[in-house]
Amino acid sequence: MANRQRLYANVLAWVFVLGSGFYLFALCNSTPRALAIPAFARKYQTSCATCHSNFPELNDFGEAFKKNGFKFPKDDDTFVKEPAVLLGAAAQREAFPKVIYPGEIPGTIPISFRFLGFAAYNSKRPLSAGPVPRTDLFTPDTFTVIAAGSFGPNLSFWVDDDLAVGGSGAEGGLGDGYLKINDLGHYIGLPKNALNLRFGQFELDLPFTQARSINPSSYDIYDQASVAGSLGTTNNPFVFGEPQRGIEIGGYPNNGNFNWSVALVNGNNTDPAARNSKDIYVRVSQRFNLERDPAIRKEVQAAGPTGPRDHTSLRLGAFYYYGRNALNIDRTQFPSFGTIHEPFYRAGGDFRFKYRNFQLYGLGMYGRDQNLIPNDETGALEKASPVTFTGGFGEAEYWVLPWVITIMRYDVVNSPSDFLNGASKHNTRNRLSPGIQILVRANIKTVFEYQRRWQQPFGEGQFFRANGFIVGIDYLF
Amino acid sequence: MKFIGHRAMRSIVLVAGFFAITAGVGLAADIQGKVTAQGMRSAAGIVVYVDAQIGGPPSQHVTVDQKKMTFIPHVIAVQKGTTVDFLNSDPVGHNVYWPSVGGNKGLAHNLGTWPQGQTKSFTFHDLGAAPLLCNVHAEMSGYVVVVPSAYHAVTGADGSFVIRGVPPGHYTLKTWSASGKPTVQQVDVGAGGATVALTVTR
Repeated sequence: MANRQRLYANVLAWVFVLGSGFYLFALCNSTPRALAIPAFARKYQTSCATCHSNFPELNDFGEAFKKNGFKFPKDDDTFVKEPAVLLGAAAQREAFPKVIYPGEIPGTIPISFRFLGFAAYNSKRPLSAGPVPRTDLFTPDTFTVIAAGSFGPNLSFWVDDDLAVGGSGAEGGLGDGYLKINDLGHYIGLPKNALNLRFGQFELDLPFTQARSINPSSYDIYDQASVAGSLGTTNNPFVFGEPQRGIEIGGYPNNGNFNWSVALVNGNNTDPAARNSKDIYVRVSQRFNLERDPAIRKEVQAAGPTGPRDHTSLRLGAFYYYGRNALNIDRTQFPSFGTIHEPFYRAGGDFRFKYRNFQLYGLGMYGRDQNLIPNDETGALEKASPVTFTGGFGEAEYWVLPWVITIMRYDVVNSPSDFLNGASKHNTRNRLSPGIQILVRANIKTVFEYQRRWQQPFGEGQFFRANGFIVGIDYLF
Repeated sequence: MKFIGHRAMRSIVLVAGFFAITAGVGLAADIQGKVTAQGMRSAAGIVVYVDAQIGGPPSQHVTVDQKKMTFIPHVIAVQKGTTVDFLNSDPVGHNVYWPSVGGNKGLAHNLGTWPQGQTKSFTFHDLGAAPLLCNVHAEMSGYVVVVPSAYHAVTGADGSFVIRGVPPGHYTLKTWSASGKPTVQQVDVGAGGATVALTVTR
């Protein structure tokens, strides 16, 4: 019986991994950077499923683990199967400052690897749009190394780096690399984890993470940049979904039901700072725990009669990003002007509803960049219509079985400037992406996603839909 | 006077009972031995039991703990009709279920999920091994092996075992292990007990 089950599982695995008759192409958007962490599975000798119901998306326990500095929310020491190496006896705290404050490093090198590859079948496209094969067998997309863990009770770290992107070593780079001090508020009597600090390069405290997204493509609204084109000077490279360099304070009091964070960042994503001004990002959210049983409400991971699940809950949040983009710093664009500052902001709200095996979540965002335009007669720069966009996404997930997840996602970006610059046929670009994800093992996943995309230009007044079907393989070890 | 008569009568009964019990124990003996595992990682955790229905089910419960995300003990043998108390000693919620008993999926059962310090009980009436799982922590594994008699043991790290208090007689000795094939061996238990050597192959 066991052999038959094993055979069945293996056959199923190979059918999904290799048996698909559809193949390849390059993804239209950047792929998520990581991450479920086998290093933690080794440290605690536990399954990926303890923290991920569909990796890399975190379940309630995984969220609590991450927020607690990559430690179990209660009695972490009792669960550690690979003890840390002490960099000083705990009692050295009493001798401080005459000694180095004691810390620790993980007992084994906390390295994990992730491989992500895709095959795709593309819709037929016009010849004049350039010849692209409709199928390709396989794109080895990203190979990522991840290091994460803790340096003691209140210090945690994270580094992930794409060693190879697009099947070569090119374009790989650091995703997140930060140090975090947990429970800083402890020293001033605040509740546990009500005040934390992290600095380095990190993904903003986004309502829905791009780094731990289950989707094979980015959220379109996260990739939206403000470019005026022929309509003015605005040329803001900032996009919401990419990591930033900076410093962030935040907290999750009330058992993580309330979340807040304020970050000061360069505003230039992962590139070096290009201007003197810094940007600020603020996010708050509140989870309403809708569990009726008060005992379950207090548990980190809710559970029903037959097993664990996330709490039935509704989280509502809001976010605001403000910055001042700088143009003409080197005076080459407008020699007679100095540096031009164009304030911009992004603002929005989000929700996430969880009920048993079902999740529904979404986000709406408004972006606005000040825009200038040269006056040919006076030679001065005058205010023009701002570059604005709206949009967001809605996504639903349903676990048919613990290892079969169906997904429906809808992306919308409404950008008049993109339309006027000919980037799309209509003001609104939308994309429908139904999909199925199958956990072949707790650390191996196959992803099937169809993308029905907006109409893209390929000539004067001509458009086509670059639809496609993607088959992805994603595994960590 | 009447009260003293009752006490005297009770003393007589107790003394008689004591002699009867000690006489019985004197007749019983141990089956001891060692299991050699071939093609398996270890000979530990193998259940050796007398395949005979002797006596009724025990009234005492046995306990399987969940501690540090591990079932303790990993393998436990119980006589048919025994009630097992499943305790959660961890500060995280644990679930206990088994997808079958003796390979029969119709006997699958899910006890649910419960927090630290609480216990859920189940009486096993069907023979065979129940693989214990926790659907909160997929790596957790344990076994409750339901056998017909009270005469059973689980091997230690070196494969040795002792089945205590077996009445003299001719018995069929059987083994169960998670990864090995069942072994059957006949054994004669005399007043001095019996020593057996068993081999379990993958």
